[in-house]
Amino acid sequence: MNYNRIELADNIGFSSVIDEKFKTSSFSISFITSLSDDSAAANAIGIGALVVSNSNLPSLAQMNEKCSFLYGASLTSYTRKRGDLQILGITASWINNKYAFDGENVEHEMLSIVRDCIFSPYAPNGAFSDEAFNITKKDTIDIIDGAINNKRGYAFTRAVALAFRDEPAANLSYGSHDKAEAVTAASAFMAYQELLRSAQIEIFYISSAPNPNAADLFRNCFASIDRAPAPVSFRTPSPLKNTPESRSEIFNVKQCKVVLTYKSTSDDLFALALMSMILGDTPFSKLFLNVREKLSLCYYCSSSFLRTKNAVIVDCGVEKENISKAVEEIDRQINEIRNGNISDDELENTLRLIDDSLESVGDTPSSYSSWFFERFCDNESVSVSDYFNNYRCVTKDRIAEAARSLSLDSSYYMLSKEVSE
Amino acid sequence: MTVKEVITSPRTGDSIIRIRHKSGLVIYVCEMPGFSSVEAMFAAKYGSVNTMFRKNGESDFTSVPEGIAHFLEHKLFENEDCQVFDLYAKTGASGNAYTSFDRTCYYFTCTKNYTDSLKILLDFVQKPFFTKENVDKEIGIIEQEIKMSSDNPDWRVSSNMLRCMFHNHPVRIDIAGTAESIKMINADLLYKCYDTFYNLNNMVLSVAGNVSADEIISICDMCLKPCRNNGLETVFPDEPDNIVSPEIYEKLPVGTDFFQMGFKCSPCSGMERLKKTMAGAVAVSILTDASTDMFKRLLSEGLINFTFGPEVFNGDGFFTVIFSGESSQPRKIREAILGEIERIRINGIDLNIFQRSKKTGYGALVRELNNVDAVANLMLNAHLEGISPFDKLNVLSELSPDDVYNFICSELRSDRIVLSVIEKDGVNNEL
Repeated sequence: MNYNRIELADNIGFSSVIDEKFKTSSFSISFITSLSDDSAAANAIGIGALVVSNSNLPSLAQMNEKCSFLYGASLTSYTRKRGDLQILGITASWINNKYAFDGENVEHEMLSIVRDCIFSPYAPNGAFSDEAFNITKKDTIDIIDGAINNKRGYAFTRAVALAFRDEPAANLSYGSHDKAEAVTAASAFMAYQELLRSAQIEIFYISSAPNPNAADLFRNCFASIDRAPAPVSFRTPSPLKNTPESRSEIFNVKQCKVVLTYKSTSDDLFALALMSMILGDTPFSKLFLNVREKLSLCYYCSSSFLRTKNAVIVDCGVEKENISKAVEEIDRQINEIRNGNISDDELENTLRLIDDSLESVGDTPSSYSSWFFERFCDNESVSVSDYFNNYRCVTKDRIAEAARSLSLDSSYYMLSKEVSE
Repeated sequence: MTVKEVITSPRTGDSIIRIRHKSGLVIYVCEMPGFSSVEAMFAAKYGSVNTMFRKNGESDFTSVPEGIAHFLEHKLFENEDCQVFDLYAKTGASGNAYTSFDRTCYYFTCTKNYTDSLKILLDFVQKPFFTKENVDKEIGIIEQEIKMSSDNPDWRVSSNMLRCMFHNHPVRIDIAGTAESIKMINADLLYKCYDTFYNLNNMVLSVAGNVSADEIISICDMCLKPCRNNGLETVFPDEPDNIVSPEIYEKLPVGTDFFQMGFKCSPCSGMERLKKTMAGAVAVSILTDASTDMFKRLLSEGLINFTFGPEVFNGDGFFTVIFSGESSQPRKIREAILGEIERIRINGIDLNIFQRSKKTGYGALVRELNNVDAVANLMLNAHLEGISPFDKLNVLSELSPDDVYNFICSELRSDRIVLSVIEKDGVNNEL
């Protein structure tokens, strides 16, 4: 594997990863900007509209026809949240030319399509075309409204909104329904122009063979843009509330959800991450073995560490009458770690799982881009083995200290209708 | 005697090794140079639909409670002296399992110590340990899993549709069973099902990634107990061709209305099923192509969004074609799809769209070979479907417009369509 990152312009990184084992190539461009309810929906619609059409393929039908002709090449957009940031972009993937049985230059055609989507969107008169805009706006609103369909995910989102209230991270990644309704074809296009001008931009090109033209293709296009990148913060620890808050909502559901957010003042990120895994992020964790296996209270009860916000979130699905029991047991297990009750097996097994998982970086194109993107956010160029050593150096004392640094910030409960009445 | 055979794709040059092991087990291995991961899957051809069966020498068929295959999957993770997860913890592998309509699959993924993890996998799946205590303990956990699924609208829209499509075939039953049915499961029944279905002649091992076929054979030699074919016979109740009911609506707390619309087609097996699956896949790709007037109209009128898409879903004794997506007016979508089918019936297949759809299918198959997990699944699925791993590529390349036209005309019938809709139900109340 050969990895190389260059700066195409001010705050525009272009990383190429060449790994000959792949049968496909992929390209992604990420725009990194502050998450704000005022701009989130317009940004999401602006980015989404890019993959519907471009000035050379000015309709969805033409775009789809071209991509399916190129052996079903994929071209999609994405919007996600990372702490206080909104990360949006488009990604494309296609088979290598040698598998194109009709001899097409799939690579060249797809890179050209992606370039046109980014730099020459179909936006006559300073606004996205009606087709691209209407489709994307409806899709975005449906995504926002449809968040409730996934009950576990929705409960998590509501807990995050409560825990990080008044911080950018409390906002939805796609923005709110009302703000999305207010977006117009012109405001979405303006939002995209603003992203081109002011967002931090990271590009990944991953292929089986080097393409010396790829970087230049995009460098030349960026040269005509008057850039004024706005600084962003990749890590913004969230302050603890003065007193823990609780919120309950009633739904017509069979299973209740509990989401507890704990915040930490510690900067020992690897100890916090390891603590969260030992608590509830493996099938041999304390929560799995006790809340699920020993007490049979839940099908899932797990914890996750939000590195960007210095928070640990524990969530589970449980019967209403067992909520107190589950919360007590979760609390008891955190106290076990606070008291240093961590066995050698728990620590070693967790480290082994992390080590094994890190070694798989590079087995898919997306694992490369995720790995290098996260290292960019950390502002640290480090090998997988050196990164693992950060975990390896963590002692039980540091893990216990990390657990002691946690305080309950807020609790969210999704309650079922029949048991609430 | 163990027999090895190398299967090579003439189109991509990739090779897979198929091994008929002396124990009775069929093993597939794909050595993938340059990859770090290993994916190993050990599966029994035993899913939620296998509720009636008998072995050699048994005169009567045995019926078992709904959800027992899934229950058994949970319980195999508990050894007599430890949890299986504790064993994987010593190797660094991530292990798990799933039960579907037609299979139970135990798998792990890892980058290191794959031989030790493979020994664990082969060992625990061959070593059941069921007691009244450990069976009773599992009921609470599975009840919570069932409740979680009940709250999942994607699951509900699909299971509602299957219940309205099939009169008797057990694909209409939820994979995990019901809160009532799992209470009828006991250790004796679990052993009965285990002894019947977890016979190596009814199982398959699929391993892909950074592995050596010879190492895998050595481990199998060591860990697999030779197994006599028990003459397993599974049966399904007679299933009429017609559907139960054309529509089902349910209200749930969702943000958008959504639907599944399924055509009940005639079931088949083996190579015939593969040919029909590929014809069906290209047919639905043509029907929903973005260049068609139907698609453009549905999109411009806001009747569909990007979630709209088709799939071909089939298994032992059932074959369906499903369109799904978010929409507040799914009846209009049904009308449009039936109209498009009629248009194709009269005008024939657009050859340009046909060729593009085939190329898209080919591209998807090449992508599958790019990924360790996907390759392991490809080999496993092929075996359980009674075909060879590269048959899909071959069948696709030979597929003709007539095959697709005939599929559309004979299988997508207006009297065999079921519409299942989940509608928004009120709002939440904050306490």
